[in-house]
Amino acid sequence: MDWLFNFPFEVNLNTDAIDQAVRGFAASYSSFFDGIKAALTNFVGAINWVFSYVPWFVLIGIVFFLSWKAHRRIRSGIFYSLLLCVIGAFGLWGLMNLTLSIVLAGVIIALVIGLPIGVLISGSEHANRIVRPILDMMQTMPVFVYLIPAVIFFGMGSASAVIATVIYSMVPVIRLTSLGIRQVNAEVVEAARSFGSTRAQLLFKVQVPQALPTIMTGINQTLMMAMSMVVTCSMIGARGLGNEVLIAVNRIEISRGFVAGSAVVILAIILDRLTQGWFSKKEEAGGEER
Amino acid sequence: MKHNRKTIALFSVFAALICCVAGCSPKSKTKTITFADVGWDSILFHNAVSGTVAEEVFGYNWTEVSGSTPITHEAVKKGEIDVHMEVWTDNLPNYASDIAAGSLKELGVNFGDNAQGFYVPRYVIEGDASRGIEPMAPDLKTVADLKDYAHLFKDPENPSKGIIYGGIAGWEITDIMHKKYLHYGLDEGYNYLEPGTDAATSAVLVSAYDKGDPVVAYYWEPTWLLGKYDFVLLEDEPYDEALYFEGKCACPSVRVTVCVSNDFYKSDPAFCEFLSHYQTSSALTSEALAYMEETDADYKAAAKWFLNQHRDMVETWLTAEQVEKLYASIG
Repeated sequence: MDWLFNFPFEVNLNTDAIDQAVRGFAASYSSFFDGIKAALTNFVGAINWVFSYVPWFVLIGIVFFLSWKAHRRIRSGIFYSLLLCVIGAFGLWGLMNLTLSIVLAGVIIALVIGLPIGVLISGSEHANRIVRPILDMMQTMPVFVYLIPAVIFFGMGSASAVIATVIYSMVPVIRLTSLGIRQVNAEVVEAARSFGSTRAQLLFKVQVPQALPTIMTGINQTLMMAMSMVVTCSMIGARGLGNEVLIAVNRIEISRGFVAGSAVVILAIILDRLTQGWFSKKEEAGGEER
Repeated sequence: MKHNRKTIALFSVFAALICCVAGCSPKSKTKTITFADVGWDSILFHNAVSGTVAEEVFGYNWTEVSGSTPITHEAVKKGEIDVHMEVWTDNLPNYASDIAAGSLKELGVNFGDNAQGFYVPRYVIEGDASRGIEPMAPDLKTVADLKDYAHLFKDPENPSKGIIYGGIAGWEITDIMHKKYLHYGLDEGYNYLEPGTDAATSAVLVSAYDKGDPVVAYYWEPTWLLGKYDFVLLEDEPYDEALYFEGKCACPSVRVTVCVSNDFYKSDPAFCEFLSHYQTSSALTSEALAYMEETDADYKAAAKWFLNQHRDMVETWLTAEQVEKLYASIG
């Protein structure tokens, strides 16, 4: 009766050969990978340089200004700048700058790659069928499965962290861009076509502006998923708030972990409100003009 | 009506299947011992050895529960894990106070001869003719010597300085290694990065070794990595207890102990008696891991081989009749 409960046959995978092949590949093309690593490291370093040379009150002022404009209330401005002050009060300002640099670098790259891909798969069903399984894999593959190979190819540090962040967080912007464009009212598209617009004009002047709320949601979600990768990235040497959380977890220092974790949450909330607010502002403005 | 019949039919098939399954599964009343699995080859091997003794001599079943170093330690304290075969006492900041407070029981030392410290690949010092690597730092022998070679171990994020990879974030030894780095004035020429997990350190060392690049990192024995690749431990001042915590001298061997939960200690004095005599060594563990690597054996097969190879050692762990019982089944 054993065959009822135990799977009847097993294929013996030669995992050793695959491992050797991957490692051989990494060793022979190391100059190519080193080039990518240098480019990414410099990119993150440049963003970090900007943050470290901007005085703290300037950053708080920028957050105040942006949140005030986005929500049209002074109260929001004051609230979010106070939250940012809390991070500074916990002594985590420098670490916050490091984390922000990696997250922003990852998000910028994710958007630069993701938005065009989203537009591409909205137009072509064929492309959609190829890209969707890849997106599923990128989102659900356990992170460590591609994190450790990233360390083998790109070394420990910001470069691997940015790559892991990009892989994980690129998916929402692609899916939501494609969704937004496909959901544009068919009659509007037909009207634009009947007026003789080229494909490019249709895309940039009709479809993208109409899909903007959904695309902004995609960008917002990408930012949130990049923030959620912060602790995982610290495992491969990305310095910042994630490292603080990791040390706390390894030493079972619950309060230290909670403090660092709260800083990550505050950062995520501020980034979320700042990127969401713009669109509701446009809707309100559109409503008022009516 | 058709809908009703279909539902009844489906339900009865389902019920029949469940009865089949229930009828087939044996009702086991044998005790199951839970071992800790921290992911290292060495602990899985020791679990298999103890587990084989538990099965053949005491008639128990055994299973493993995975977790990281601090998690499995907490689990032993709470009684969720019965036996932990490899407690690296230096990596747990609260170990001494936990033992003093009686939250868990330390039964003995599994092995106390292991090395840890800063390692460099052998080809950095001696070169490797078979791979065409020239010796890059022929005079590098001690940790203090690292000061002269900062230009060799370049930090990819900051090429003007070198990089040393330190201990894993959160381990006790990490603090000491950091003090060592400062004590020898290495902060002038080197940046210092503490990886988040040992998997990351292994990946860095393996990829550097494959490319033939110079790298210096904290690591420890016995591990599959140091068994498989040729690394050299950088020497330091002779060990002195007072200087050790300041990072001014070599690291002593870590006391790697066998610990059990308080509940298990009370419920199973016979098995705990065996565990208190359980003692191997770093060399024996590496020998077994090498055997596994060469013959592609799994942990249970390696455990059987090990028990057969070292009968005289096993005789110090068990009573004479237990030894007879064991070798009757596996000999």
